[in-house]
Amino acid sequence: MRRLLWPGAVVAVIVLVAVLAPLLPLHDPVVQDVGNRLARWLPDSPLGRDEFGRDVLSRLIWGARASLTVAFVASLIAAVAGTALGLLGGWFRGLPEFLAIRGADVLLCFPPILLALLVVTLMGPGTGTLIFVLAILYLPGFIRVAYAEVLSARAQDYVEAVRALGAPTGRILLRTVLPNIAGPVLVQLSLAVAAAVVLESGLSFLGLGVVPPTPSWGQMIRGARATMEQAPTLLLWPCVTLTVTILAMNLLCDALRDALDPRGAAPPRRLLDRVLPGLLPPTAPALLEVRGLTVEIATPAGVIRPVEDLSFSVAAGRTLAIVGESGSGKSMAALAVMGLLPPAARVASGSVWFEGGELLRAPEPARRRLRGGAMAMVFQDPMSSLNPVYRIGAQVTEAIAAHRTPARDEAVSLLSRVGIADPARRARAWPHELSGGMRQRVMIAMAIANRPRLLIADEPTTALDVTVQAAILDLLADLRREGGMGMVLITHSLGVVAEVGDEVAVMYAAQIVERGSVAEVFSRPRHPYTSALLAAVPDGEREAEGIPGTVPRPDSWPPGCRFAPRCTHARAICDTPPPLEVVDGREIRCLRWREIAA
Amino acid sequence: MLWLLRRLGTSLLLMWVVASIVFLALHVVPGDPAEVLLSTGGTSPDPYAVAELRTRLGLDLPLHVQYGAFLAGLARGDLGVSLVDDYPVAEEIMLRLPRTLELILAGSLIAVLVGLPAGTYAAVRHGSGFDRGAGATAAVLQSVPVFVLGTLLILLFAQTLRWMPAGGYVPASESLLRHLVLLLLPALAVGKGLAAVVYRMTRASVLDALSRDHVRTARAKGLTPRRVLARHVVRNALSPVATVLGLHMGALLGGTVLVEYVFNWPGLSTPLLRAVEARDYPMVVGIILTVSALFLLINLAMDFLYAALDPRILRS
Repeated sequence: MRRLLWPGAVVAVIVLVAVLAPLLPLHDPVVQDVGNRLARWLPDSPLGRDEFGRDVLSRLIWGARASLTVAFVASLIAAVAGTALGLLGGWFRGLPEFLAIRGADVLLCFPPILLALLVVTLMGPGTGTLIFVLAILYLPGFIRVAYAEVLSARAQDYVEAVRALGAPTGRILLRTVLPNIAGPVLVQLSLAVAAAVVLESGLSFLGLGVVPPTPSWGQMIRGARATMEQAPTLLLWPCVTLTVTILAMNLLCDALRDALDPRGAAPPRRLLDRVLPGLLPPTAPALLEVRGLTVEIATPAGVIRPVEDLSFSVAAGRTLAIVGESGSGKSMAALAVMGLLPPAARVASGSVWFEGGELLRAPEPARRRLRGGAMAMVFQDPMSSLNPVYRIGAQVTEAIAAHRTPARDEAVSLLSRVGIADPARRARAWPHELSGGMRQRVMIAMAIANRPRLLIADEPTTALDVTVQAAILDLLADLRREGGMGMVLITHSLGVVAEVGDEVAVMYAAQIVERGSVAEVFSRPRHPYTSALLAAVPDGEREAEGIPGTVPRPDSWPPGCRFAPRCTHARAICDTPPPLEVVDGREIRCLRWREIAA
Repeated sequence: MLWLLRRLGTSLLLMWVVASIVFLALHVVPGDPAEVLLSTGGTSPDPYAVAELRTRLGLDLPLHVQYGAFLAGLARGDLGVSLVDDYPVAEEIMLRLPRTLELILAGSLIAVLVGLPAGTYAAVRHGSGFDRGAGATAAVLQSVPVFVLGTLLILLFAQTLRWMPAGGYVPASESLLRHLVLLLLPALAVGKGLAAVVYRMTRASVLDALSRDHVRTARAKGLTPRRVLARHVVRNALSPVATVLGLHMGALLGGTVLVEYVFNWPGLSTPLLRAVEARDYPMVVGIILTVSALFLLINLAMDFLYAALDPRILRS
């Protein structure tokens, strides 16, 4: 709303002065006084006199009156006629729709000033002609806005309801639809007025708009051009007035549009990743060691923490599965490890060690050399993760070329390695020509291009068909065996975990609630959430039990155990936050796991 | 391919509609067309002159015959003769059109060369001083009318600094250097609005592309930031910019009329404005049809460019 203030005030002052022109103590703008021709300053003419000795200030103010009147009247006519046509077209469809919409299309085929010149040729210059031309020119804008709004309003429940009550069409249009399209039409009106002022001044400048001696800004500039050498300021005044008026109007339009746009302003983005100091290196370096990782996102409502105090490690040749429902923070943790967090998110604390080196503290160029080289990632959605404007082969080659010179046809052999039939032909295909499973294979080909030692796969099969899922999982398992690479597999499917995981970390609401070997955790789950997840998997004869409720949102976590509101074992003690307990190589975040197990 | 043909067909259809409207406009205005064209203010024109004009424009013939002759002429490239000096309209246009095209091309080139890098840089340095400054400049450039900017450019560079003449035209065959010097200011004035539009669209489009999944993929490959920006952000951000470029060509063509007048650039606007004042209808119609055809053609070219930038379009 603050953005409306300044431009609004400027426009209001200009309009007020123009309206009050007859009441102001001004010279007559058309009376000539050749004796004071081109006078720079006179006691009663602060801005001087023009080439005929007329008072410049008075002509500026009366000129505003002429320009604004023409612009307002023309835009109002266009608004009323255009909105009516758009409403009728959108409501009745059929012939009215065809005439209104196609008519608007045809009008938009003419460059505006040329259509104006055509009409001036036919009707001769003058204020009436101007208003007629401008009204026609801005008609299509209103038709389109009103038409689009009616189409969307028609589908809405309240309009359907009024129609079902048997209200006559005219009344529905006026009472229910019209108030709803008022906002967009108002914005369109302000745009039209600003554009009309520009066009009016342009035509008057060419001598084809407002007829002398009526003053207008365009005409004043036209006149002052002739005496530019003797009196340059004469040219400056109308130029500045016109530009400031239009600038204020345009800014007002922008602010008005933003204020009426329900989406509101986006939170500011930060494009540089913040680098944080890490802790001491771990004693026996694993391939990947994550310690106390916390990720924060600044939202308009405050800071949220989608990942909190997360620790895990992965050894070479092993697979850690991170499992949890949507919104548990799994993907965000993976992106933090890769250094690919979205701009709004940042690592608040913790450290990530890869092959003995700390990553979060490392400079961006060093991290970039690791990405796609020693550590690679496969994303969830193969539809959007490939660039639509490059061929497959070029994108795979690019992944190699980022780190070394690709051998001839290396992209094709990579494609065949991930099980793509006819790889030479597929390399020349565009992403949209491939199926989802095929695209995910391409993503995997790009990820393994430089023989990474760590592969992070973020729900690599979620977007795919069940049959394709199994094939992709087999491919990942094969690649891991052949290359001895460590893998972090993020998934919400326990079936996937059982198939390929060595270790499993269960995440709930930004925290790990249980961690251990897949065999241990699956056979003897200790956290109630893990048990509930296992119970939710259909297994032979036994009926699947769903978990009541959903994962709480990051801005409304329960004060104690975050699973407590959905937990069948919850007691009063669960209002205190449980620590992560380590018991014979397993981790559990539950105060009552011993009682529950007993 | 089918898409290209359909798009071409639509353009031809629109051209026919535009031509028909221009033809009919003279007959829709209340009163006898010849009288309308000859009337000045309240006085009724000389009946002999009206009769003569009726014969010259073929207004005595039935409407459908006139319409047929008009369309047949268009198909042959015959736009009739000027009412003022009997000079063939098509020849006058062929002489002037290249100069107008040159101005439009130079203006668009300046707009793209300025708007694209500035928009990209502002998006990458989102919220910086450059971003705010460029945004304010774009707002002012979008608001200042072309003829005001042109006049102010003359006031500054020709009148005050005396770096170059206030306008005029020297054929490139005579002196290429002087030709280009005289082209510079008008091209700046023509391109200013488009530069602001290209800047705004590029900035928004790059900001959007930066948050796309495939950009994350590119970063995950370990590409350098420069390469990610050039290949995966800017390249993808170009197609919306091309669309907007096409949409604003109408304003650009209109602006050219005013700029040519301000700088005495002998393009299409000189005969057009003369003809509007003299109410030389065949000349006005000829030039308007030419420019409208140009407008449709540019939009068509932009659509093809758009398709080339985004391979999904042709195949869907």
